Amino acid sequence: MSGIPVRRVARFFEQRLLSFVAGLTAVILLVLFYYPVATVFADAVLEDGGLTIEPLVAILTSEFYLVDIIWFTTKQAFYSTLASLALGLPAAWLFSRFEFPGRETLRSLTILPFVMPSIMVAIGFVATFGRNGTLNRVLSVVGLPPVELLFTLEAIIVAHAFYNAPLVARIVTAAWESVDARTVETARSLGATPRRAFRDVVLPQLLPSIGIGATLTFIFTFASFPIVLALGGFQLATIEVFVYSKVRDLAYAEAASLAVIETVISIALTAVYLRYEANQRAAGGTANPLPRQSVLPSDVTPKSTLRTAGIAGYTAIVGLVFIVPIASMILASVTGGDGGLTLSHYAFLVERQATGASFQVKPLPAIVNSLVFAGGTLLVAVPMGVTMAILTTRTYRGRGLIDVLSMAPFAVSGIVVGLGLLRGLVFGVDVFGTRISVTGALAIVAAHSVGAYPFVTRNVAPLFSRLDGRLVESARSLGATRTRALLDIELPLVWTGVVAGAAFAVAISIGEFDSTIILAEGSGSYTMPVAVERFLGRRLGPATAMGCVLLAVTSLSFFVVDRFGGRWGEL
Amino acid sequence: MRRRTFIKAAGASGVSALLAGCTGSGTDSTTTEQSGGSTNTTTQGTTTGGNKPTLTVGTYGSFVDAPSTSPGPWLKEEFEAEFDATLEWQTPDSGVNHYIERSLRNVESGADLYVGLDSQMLVRIDTKLDSELFTSTSDLSRRDDVNEELEFDPKERAIPYDTGYISLVYNESYGDGGFTAPETFDGLLDSEYSGALLAQNPTSSATGQAFLLHTIDAKGEDGYLDYWAELKENDVRVLGNWEDSYTAYSNEEAPIVVSYSTDQVYAAESGEDMAKHQIRFLNDQGYANPEGMAAFADAANPELASEFMDFMLRPEVQAEIATRNVAFPATTTAELPDDFAKYAHEPPEAVTFSYDRLKDNLSDWTDAWAQEFASK
Repeated sequence: MSGIPVRRVARFFEQRLLSFVAGLTAVILLVLFYYPVATVFADAVLEDGGLTIEPLVAILTSEFYLVDIIWFTTKQAFYSTLASLALGLPAAWLFSRFEFPGRETLRSLTILPFVMPSIMVAIGFVATFGRNGTLNRVLSVVGLPPVELLFTLEAIIVAHAFYNAPLVARIVTAAWESVDARTVETARSLGATPRRAFRDVVLPQLLPSIGIGATLTFIFTFASFPIVLALGGFQLATIEVFVYSKVRDLAYAEAASLAVIETVISIALTAVYLRYEANQRAAGGTANPLPRQSVLPSDVTPKSTLRTAGIAGYTAIVGLVFIVPIASMILASVTGGDGGLTLSHYAFLVERQATGASFQVKPLPAIVNSLVFAGGTLLVAVPMGVTMAILTTRTYRGRGLIDVLSMAPFAVSGIVVGLGLLRGLVFGVDVFGTRISVTGALAIVAAHSVGAYPFVTRNVAPLFSRLDGRLVESARSLGATRTRALLDIELPLVWTGVVAGAAFAVAISIGEFDSTIILAEGSGSYTMPVAVERFLGRRLGPATAMGCVLLAVTSLSFFVVDRFGGRWGEL
Repeated sequence: MRRRTFIKAAGASGVSALLAGCTGSGTDSTTTEQSGGSTNTTTQGTTTGGNKPTLTVGTYGSFVDAPSTSPGPWLKEEFEAEFDATLEWQTPDSGVNHYIERSLRNVESGADLYVGLDSQMLVRIDTKLDSELFTSTSDLSRRDDVNEELEFDPKERAIPYDTGYISLVYNESYGDGGFTAPETFDGLLDSEYSGALLAQNPTSSATGQAFLLHTIDAKGEDGYLDYWAELKENDVRVLGNWEDSYTAYSNEEAPIVVSYSTDQVYAAESGEDMAKHQIRFLNDQGYANPEGMAAFADAANPELASEFMDFMLRPEVQAEIATRNVAFPATTTAELPDDFAKYAHEPPEAVTFSYDRLKDNLSDWTDAWAQEFASK
């Protein structure tokens, strides 16, 4: 076989790969996001085929919706963001600047809250912060009065921090590790104090990542729903609670109007952030990360003692907010109805696997499906995310709009996307008399990718904008195709971001529920979170056992993604 | 013969496969099953090979797939053995809303009948749909066996097959022990019951909705909002769903929870302390929530659907449904096991709103409650 045609064909594809992936991204977004969402949002402005603004006006003129719901939702999201930053930033500092045993393992595990079904978090939080919870038992031992934390705004905020502080920590750690040590050394050699060097050199390089962490946290907690009702109660209802209630009551005009308002607020915030990010031109590379120091200081000074005390205090808080609830979930999965230890809930899983009917949800297919979909999402979302990152770091007219549109999957209520997928995909569309519907495994992977690729883009885009454009130009002038330049030059330089984004993509896929349950119906394509929901009955044990299986499987897959992903990049 | 085309889950790739999806015409619906890496394709609809008809039954998840017991598997086995037909369960996440939604989008229902209707759902169907989703079934041989008090559909589409009663469950050993729940709705307002009650969101949970309706029945249309304002003042907790509130109840966050009067059946099964599962019928009443089944107007196998409904009303099947669904039978002829009544409690008086009352008021009552309770 002659080598020339093969090379020509390869070159043909290489030249067009970027455009192909961009086109594919657009098609997936259109079919699995924009069209389905449009079928729902249309209800806010359409009535009997005509345009109307009545439903929107009704909400925007209602004091109840404006003050008690929308303003309250904004307020709790703001507090939740502050709490997530307060809990997440010290973790980023510890992960990026200190060396301690188990650092990498712990860092891998920070993804766990992402995949946790809300009922698991509720079980863990009640057992930790409840009247008879771990916290109050510790308080009573040391002679302090009990705290009533459950069913308050504070409980919701702490739970939101549980979900989102790890997000902040992961994103900021990645940025901190890519700060070039030489820039700090230069500042110091010019006479700057360590504090001054941090403020003027390090902090400006961290701010974009803190900004995206905060923005994402705000958007996610703004649309929070099951956890609000589980740990707060209906008196603390948010917008999403009402979207859900209205959808369930089939009051689509009101549901869509509330969801549109919710989306507009989230999108506006995203646009503000993206504008800020675009104006940042962080310098430096990843060649010389700042050195790590031991958590235990080598000599005792007042300053080092203070720092050690601070780290110890922070560790105690992390233990209370993260470790105790997760330990409580695991404990709940081995606690029987009589309060004694039992493996009967796990025995249920084994029995269901062995004897369950074909129409029942079984554990093993759920695990396999979750992993297959996560793998599929990885393969689809990473190219999508990287391509969008390249598009959003070029300068062209309308770039701002593309930027915001590509982030929209974060900003739209999961309930709306779910309903849209039902209408748009499951029921199908009539095309020339043939009904085309899309469900099952491929649709699930595509839907997960839609939710996951913005994470890849946001992790990679800031690194792309830092790259020296002349590198690519040189490569191309030497005859490399655009794709070759991307694969050989740019990708290795932004690899930390790709791996960070890939980890989020896998986590999003494993934890996703709203779209999965709709697209999996009747097809056997159910995943672990769906199994957790199915195993909830009048006894909570089987669901918590399945939830712990979910935690174990996720932890294992993250060792693989983080370790091997990192190594691959080093090759 | 209808044309069917299937998507191949394995081996298909790229945009063409994604878009191709599955195409079908008319009443077909196609699904792809993937488990354990192997791929196989199943169909649902009218017939699967030979002359054996398929009955497709929509229902809610726990009717076929609860971790404790559910009637679904048993019913399928028995029915298939006797009728030489295949029974296929459909369990869409949104329950009957899924079929309403299909009808709203002019998509055929894809099932023969639905099991698990209540009057609130019928109201939703009749308010939102102009066309008939379900049709009435009159030619059942056991139709008259159904307890008349449980009938909830004036249009006779839904035929009751079981009923539950919503009551309070309380923990006698709460605190220092000797706790007892109040006997009346007014009693719940006493300061000694401050923070004592866990209820559920009536806009999304069946027990929460039943409890709200019970308060409306007890306090009247004009009085229930004031009553709830006082309950809120007395720190009642309205959580998202039954699971949320039962988790909190099990952790002794509060001594009373709104639940089913069959609560002790589960407690006995898993060897729990009965002191923690005491039943209280407020005002000596329980709110009845009968469940019914109805045939879809566009059912492909209406005769088979009728046969299935008759089968569901048989005395021995009624007993099995009651035991496995942990509810009370709907017929007067059910043959219950002797120890059934030991843990499943029936209220001295059952209350429930008629379809007509609900049709005119349900949305307004619920909306007014939500605005009252969620105002900060």
